[in-house]
Parts: sequence; structure tokens; C-alpha cells
Amino acid sequence: MEFSHDRSGDTLVVNASGRVDGSNASDFLESLQGMFEPGDQKIILDLGGLEYISSAGLRVLLMAAQNLDKQNKSFSICSLTEAVGDVFRISGFDQIINVFPSVADAKQG
Amino acid sequence: MTQPYRILVVDDEPDLEPLILQRMRRQIRSNEYEFVFAQNGVEALEKLNADPTIDMVLSDINMPKMDGLTLLQQLPGVDPNLRAVIISAYGDMDNIRTAMNRGAFDFVTKPIDFDDLKITIKRTLEHLAEWREALSSRDQLVALQNELSIASQLQQSILPKNPPVTEEYEVSANMEPARNVGGDFYDYFKIDEYVGLVVADVSDKGIPASMFMMSSRTALKGAAIGVREPQMVLAEVNNQLQQDNPTFMFVTLIYALFHPDSGSLTYSIAGHDPPLLLSADGTVTELPLTKGVALGIAPDVVYSQEMVNLEPGDAVVLFTDGVTEAMNADNQQFGMSRLKEVFDDRQPKSAMAANEAVFENVRKFAGDAPQSDDITCLTLRRP
Repeated sequence: MEFSHDRSGDTLVVNASGRVDGSNASDFLESLQGMFEPGDQKIILDLGGLEYISSAGLRVLLMAAQNLDKQNKSFSICSLTEAVGDVFRISGFDQIINVFPSVADAKQG
Repeated sequence: MTQPYRILVVDDEPDLEPLILQRMRRQIRSNEYEFVFAQNGVEALEKLNADPTIDMVLSDINMPKMDGLTLLQQLPGVDPNLRAVIISAYGDMDNIRTAMNRGAFDFVTKPIDFDDLKITIKRTLEHLAEWREALSSRDQLVALQNELSIASQLQQSILPKNPPVTEEYEVSANMEPARNVGGDFYDYFKIDEYVGLVVADVSDKGIPASMFMMSSRTALKGAAIGVREPQMVLAEVNNQLQQDNPTFMFVTLIYALFHPDSGSLTYSIAGHDPPLLLSADGTVTELPLTKGVALGIAPDVVYSQEMVNLEPGDAVVLFTDGVTEAMNADNQQFGMSRLKEVFDDRQPKSAMAANEAVFENVRKFAGDAPQSDDITCLTLRRP
């Protein structure tokens, strides 16, 4: 699991790559939330480098999304590979979390 | 000599006591169970307060003085580790739902099918034994490893073990647990002239996940009674599970209802991989997904359903992602295409043969690579 992030104004784009499964899902959530700053209003998670996400990974994404929602902040994910996109589509999580084709789309959305 | 389990039976109808003593005489004689009887909720509470060795309560709902639903509410005050099974009129969904919400472990319907009752009692007591072990381990602050092994025993204790094989249909189901992760389960049960089939995968692991698995199973079984529309059943289970779920645990599952007379299979999917149809002519098809979301995370989700007709010789394979995501030493996944190839031009001769073929091929593919997720597969075949 690797992270990098890029902040411009109140928008934070986080790149996550590697694999998220039961063994590192809680670390994933902690690292992700550790990057948020109070001024961030729009958080975009770029999963273009993500190879695999298990149900435990989906669950922590949902926790992050709900936490941000409670603070009236926007959260979206983008650039899903085909395999990861399938996981979101089949689980129905694409109906719960905003999914965009690219970072640019997510910024506009 | 181990102590028999003590079961308190609460019913105002006098017929039940001799019937239970007669049908359960073998278990009573072999010192497995001991039965205590009460005629209403008030009397039941008196007996429970006077006798802390009672393990389980089997209670009717409609009774004078105090009914079964009120009794259920009082049980945690007497002993939070008591387990209760409710006897309800067939199709009495409202009461069954209330009972489940008030913490009943399971239910049986009237007229009582004693084979079903025996299985339900056995499963409840097995669960209770695992639960007590879990509690005592927690008290001793043992390692997580141990908690996981108890969780996996809890998981095993809810799986039914006698798949039906009749002239009209065959079911075969297996769950191979990963060493540390316990989240899959399957179920099958009769509903009138239909057969309900479930394959499910709970996110997360450990005892909380096992408890969530238990609630999912019970909620589904309850919601399924008397309902012909799997999509309605899933909507109902989803609403029950998401009511009190602060940690966003969820379960993905397929619920299918098979009608042996006509061969029709209606299914609804909650965030789960679609089933495979193995046609008698040797073709393998992925059945269409239905609209829906994993259960437990969002309120008022609308589910849809699909119907497929099984001809003689056709089979349907329900599975969890432990099958398709099984990894080999080169970090490749078994995948959907390999799963389909298992049956390509190789029409299985029985449900059991189909199930065995899946496990054998996954095992062969994975080789020595460690199994990271539970593997579950259930096949329904029309002979």
C-alpha cells in the first residue's frame, strides 16, 4: 500500500496504490485519514494504481466516506482499473460512493 | 459425565409437554437434554430466576399473563447469555420479526416439525457453547488468534449439514474456511413447496463478524417465510441489518428460491458475484446481475430479481469471491474464466460432483499458496 497526495486550495487528491485487504485495511484507513486537514473540503481518492480491494477494504472506504459526509465534506473516488471497477459495480458500492472516470471529472463533479 | 443442557419450554397448551417428552426421549435418556416446563411468561421468569442452570428457552408467542415477545425482552435481565427460540404460527411475519429484533436466536413454526426442532435446538446449543467459550476467552484476554478460531467455530455451527437430495432436486454445499478469516456462510431451507438457497460473505473477521453473520442468517430466514419474491426478502433484511450498524459491517449474498415442480429459479443479488448456469448441453453461462447493494450499509435500498428456468440436467452454481479470488504462488487469481472452464463441455453428473469439481480445481490452481479467504460453493441441480 503506497500513498501520495496533492493539495490545491480546498481540494485534496490522494493517490493510493497496491492492494487493500483484511490484513492492511485498518492501516489504510488510518493513513488516509491522517492526510486530511481541517481546511480540506473536497477529497478525491485516485485509485488508478490500486490492483485489488477486498470487502474489508470497501468497508474502510465506506467509513471514511461517512465520516467526511458528517462533516459536510465531499468524497469521491476515481480512475478505477477494470478489476477494481468490477468490485465496486458488483458490490453496489458505486451506488453509495461517488465514482468518476478521472481526477478531472471528480474535481468538476 | 457432562451435565445435560437444560431447556425451558414455555407454552400454555398442555399438549406440548408430553409431545416433547415423547419425541425427545432419546436425548433425555442419554442425558443430553433436560426439559423444564412453564405455561406463560410470568411462570417462565419465576423458573429462570429460581434456576440459573437453564441454558435455553423455547417459547410460544401467544400466552396468557405474559406473552413470548414480552418474555424475550425480560430475558437479558435474567441472564444475558440465555438463548431463546420462538415458536410462532406459520407466516406470522410481524411477530417473527419482532422476536428477532428482541434477540431471539431462531424460530420454528407451527405445526412443529420435530426434526426441524431437533436441528434448531442442537444448533442453538452448539452456538451457545461457542459463545460461552468466546466469552471466557475474552475474559482471559487471550490472543487474537484464539478469538479468530472461536469465530470460525461459531461460523461452522450455523451451517446446515444435510443437503437435500431428492428426485426433483439436489443440493450440495461446502465452505472451506481460510485459516484466519471467517465471513462466508450458506443456507438452504424449505418454504412450502419452494427451496430457499443462500450463499453469503460477511466483510471483516472475528467474533463481531460472526455475530453479524448470525443476525444476517436469522433475519433472512425470518424474512423469507411466506414471501415468494427474493427482492422483497433482501430489502427487508437490508433494513433490519442497517438499523444498528455503526461499524459498517456488511454482507453480500445471493438469495434464490427454487420451485421444484416447475424448475423455475428466482434470485436476487445483494452486492455479490452472479451465479453460473450449467446447462444440460454443456454450455456455461454467467447469470445476469440484479440491481442492489451489499446488505447493511444503506437504508431503503431497492433490489431487483431475475428468473431462470432449469431444465432436467441443468445446474446452478452459487459461490463467494473466495473461489474466483483464490491465488496461486504467482499471485494470479483463479478468476471467472477458469471457473467456467471447470464445467465447459463437462456437464456434472450430480450437484455433489459439481461442487467437488470447483474445490478440486481451485485447490489444484492454488497449490501451496496460502488460502486468504473462505471458499464457499453451493450447487443446485435438477436431475
